[in-house]
Amino acid sequence: MSTVVLPRRGTVPVLTGRGRSGRTLARVLVGVLAALTVLALLARPLAPDDPVQPVAAPQLPLGSAGHLLGTDSIGRDILSRTLFGLQTSWFSALAVVAVGLLVGGIVGVAAGVAGGWVDSVLMRITDLFLALPSTLVAIALVAALGPGLTHTLLGMSVVWWPYYARLIRSEVRALVTRPHVEAARLAGVGRVRLVLRHVLPGAVPTAVVTASLDIGNVVLLLAGLSFLGLGQPSPAAELGADTAANTQLLLSAWWVPVVPGLAVLLLSLVANLAGDGIRTLLGTRR
Amino acid sequence: MTTPAPAATVRDLHVSLERDGVRSEVLRGVDLDIARGEIVGLVGESGSGKSMLALSVLGLLPDAARPHVSGTVRVGDTDMTHGPEPERRAARRTALGAVFQDPMTSLNPTMRVGRQITEAGRDREGAIALLGAMGVPDPQLRFQVYPHELSGGLRQRVMAAIAIAGRPALVVADEPTTALDVTVQAQLLDLLRELRDDLGCSVLLITHDLGVAAQIADRIAVMYAGRLAELGPTADVLAEPSHPYTAGLLRSRLSLTLDRSRRLPTLARDTLTPDERLTGCPYRGRCPLAVDRCAQETPELRSSRPSPGHGAACWFPGVTVRSRVLESEAPAAAQPAAQPAAANPAAAPAVVVDDLVCTFTTGHGRRRRSVEAVRGISFSVAAGEALAVVGESGSGKSTVLRAIAGLVPVRSGRVALAAGGAQMVFQDAGSSLTPWLSVGETLRERLAPARLGRAEADRRVAEALAGTGLPASVARLRPADLSGGQRQRVALARATIVRPAVLLCDEPTSALDASLAATTLNLIRDMREELAMTVLFVTHDLAVARLMGDRIAVVERGRIVEIGDAEAVIATPEQAYTRALVAAVPEIGVPR
Repeated sequence: MSTVVLPRRGTVPVLTGRGRSGRTLARVLVGVLAALTVLALLARPLAPDDPVQPVAAPQLPLGSAGHLLGTDSIGRDILSRTLFGLQTSWFSALAVVAVGLLVGGIVGVAAGVAGGWVDSVLMRITDLFLALPSTLVAIALVAALGPGLTHTLLGMSVVWWPYYARLIRSEVRALVTRPHVEAARLAGVGRVRLVLRHVLPGAVPTAVVTASLDIGNVVLLLAGLSFLGLGQPSPAAELGADTAANTQLLLSAWWVPVVPGLAVLLLSLVANLAGDGIRTLLGTRR
Repeated sequence: MTTPAPAATVRDLHVSLERDGVRSEVLRGVDLDIARGEIVGLVGESGSGKSMLALSVLGLLPDAARPHVSGTVRVGDTDMTHGPEPERRAARRTALGAVFQDPMTSLNPTMRVGRQITEAGRDREGAIALLGAMGVPDPQLRFQVYPHELSGGLRQRVMAAIAIAGRPALVVADEPTTALDVTVQAQLLDLLRELRDDLGCSVLLITHDLGVAAQIADRIAVMYAGRLAELGPTADVLAEPSHPYTAGLLRSRLSLTLDRSRRLPTLARDTLTPDERLTGCPYRGRCPLAVDRCAQETPELRSSRPSPGHGAACWFPGVTVRSRVLESEAPAAAQPAAQPAAANPAAAPAVVVDDLVCTFTTGHGRRRRSVEAVRGISFSVAAGEALAVVGESGSGKSTVLRAIAGLVPVRSGRVALAAGGAQMVFQDAGSSLTPWLSVGETLRERLAPARLGRAEADRRVAEALAGTGLPASVARLRPADLSGGQRQRVALARATIVRPAVLLCDEPTSALDASLAATTLNLIRDMREELAMTVLFVTHDLAVARLMGDRIAVVERGRIVEIGDAEAVIATPEQAYTRALVAAVPEIGVPR
């Protein structure tokens, strides 16, 4: 089960830190993530079989004719299920992070720009959410609302936005005291325009980078919730649920739980590395 | 005959550094000896490589930039460029001391001042005595405090105490006075000289201000583009500058004796690309004397001319340099500065400040403190007049300006501005421009209320840029693509694209090299005349104040202590504070 990791803000990206070769590597990593996204998008045309219907004998091994990654305990094609599961996990993670960024962004910018009591009130509410054990709250919410992907995403979004609110608020606080914002105020720029044009773009790189590093965390939490049976109800394909449901086959037909598990690993690894890459690419432009 | 071995020897030093994957040579063959007990002033503009020379002497070139070094730097018996690191570290501990520009970042904020000194090689009593010797009042108490509890001047004294705690043979001081007020600056220079007199240590004083070097250096080395342009005894270099760059620097120095009615003399802008600088004289692009030979052969520093021990890397004899650069005014400088229309006292004043009080509060609850930055200031500036506001840092001079601009709240009192309002030029032009907006977007924003068409707005932007001497193509660039001087021009264009009644300038030149500062000051004076603006100019430098202001107001601790005609204030200061400011302006006798 994943725990939520606070946004890290090191100075030099770990893998893609130095010079021109680092930037090339960064582009490659972002490219791999893009390729993975395309793969997830094209799950339907790419998948050889229906992910929910049994199509062959159960527990066919890896490399079987017509079923490259074998079949599961009731004869469903694992490759098809993994592709669809990738689609579900990846876009769910994007949705959670996007909602978190949007809500957290609005709260953070409002608090950071307004300052004073508005800042205090908004930040204490944020603190309240941060003080709750996020995974447990997400589980409780999903359990109360009933299982289903929408409810899972809703439950996760509720616990996810406070991190972004904190992060963006501190970025904005630092930005509004910068001389260029004073200069813009003096130049007669209106309040809304001031925030949108002179403050917000400065917070975007940090937010985007943190979000991309977070995708891996969301994927893992989502897989964790599915593992507990709180994700998409079966028989729909979901990486975490597939891994969980088939763990008892680990000794007899190891590929059935391992393939979707590896897909989770791959997705969160690629998302993390691409986040590193995005940090390198954005960093050089500022 | 045996002469004592020099404290440090630099021989044919070449250093190249890598930045963003591009390697560039920052030092290109430097030879320099620092004798025991000698103060050498190393003068150059930013980017000339003077700080890299300091770091080479300390053996502290940044590893991240993957330095390639050839040539030698010897301090005592240690090779600081290629020697084994333990030996170099030992040399830094015993033979070297360093004072850097920003004492706040060079002192360890988590350690008490005393421990940082004892760490460098003194016992407690010695360290306290040393602090006292450095002119730190109440050294017993100061021994116990953390760096953030000290003022900038005291921090720099602590840095100096650490630097000499190990009784070094050589103290390297890299721009030690740049961050300090003029009065503190003078004290620190005296301190460095006393150190030399009392302890016999040598000092390598690095500065961008020829005046600072002139005050205490025995010899002056002028650096340009990674090479020494001129080297000689201070008096000789100042009296008989033999390199066009030195002569140009002397001529463009701001001093209290410059002719106010003329444009300030400036150096030509550099037109050479880095590649072109590799062959021939690197200064030829800005040199009024340049001939074909300068592009083909690189002149060496010849020490026999014009006098023993004084040399310049120039093909021309010193006499020619002086007659052509120093004594003949360049055509631009010969033009009398446009005389702003005399302020009409009958007209309504453009700025009226009446008993202005500004306070800042820090902390919360019981820790709440309020500081009075401005404590009842009143003045008025007639339309078209220029008032220079002078004071040390913390005197509240910037706060007055920001209150007039409406950037800080006014506690009590009144600020009234003429129709047209005020625009401001900030100290750090780079950070006053939004980094992700292009110059064109920044300027067009000011035109937004006028609701001009796209073509008309573009025309106005090009016009405003042209007014500050920038090509229209700059509009597409972002601040990061511009040089420091260009950024200041863009900031000025933003302030004036819609003509304000009052132009507020907050130390716009204090971060610029001398020549660039003179260019910017010329520009502000031109624009003032062209647009008939009232100017309020805040500065810590009386020489600048005298050039920019018709009147000067001297501010001390949030109050105006003296206000009057610029020449009168400087010639016959009434207050001790003003006299101290006048005395602290580094002056050098320049043959004119």
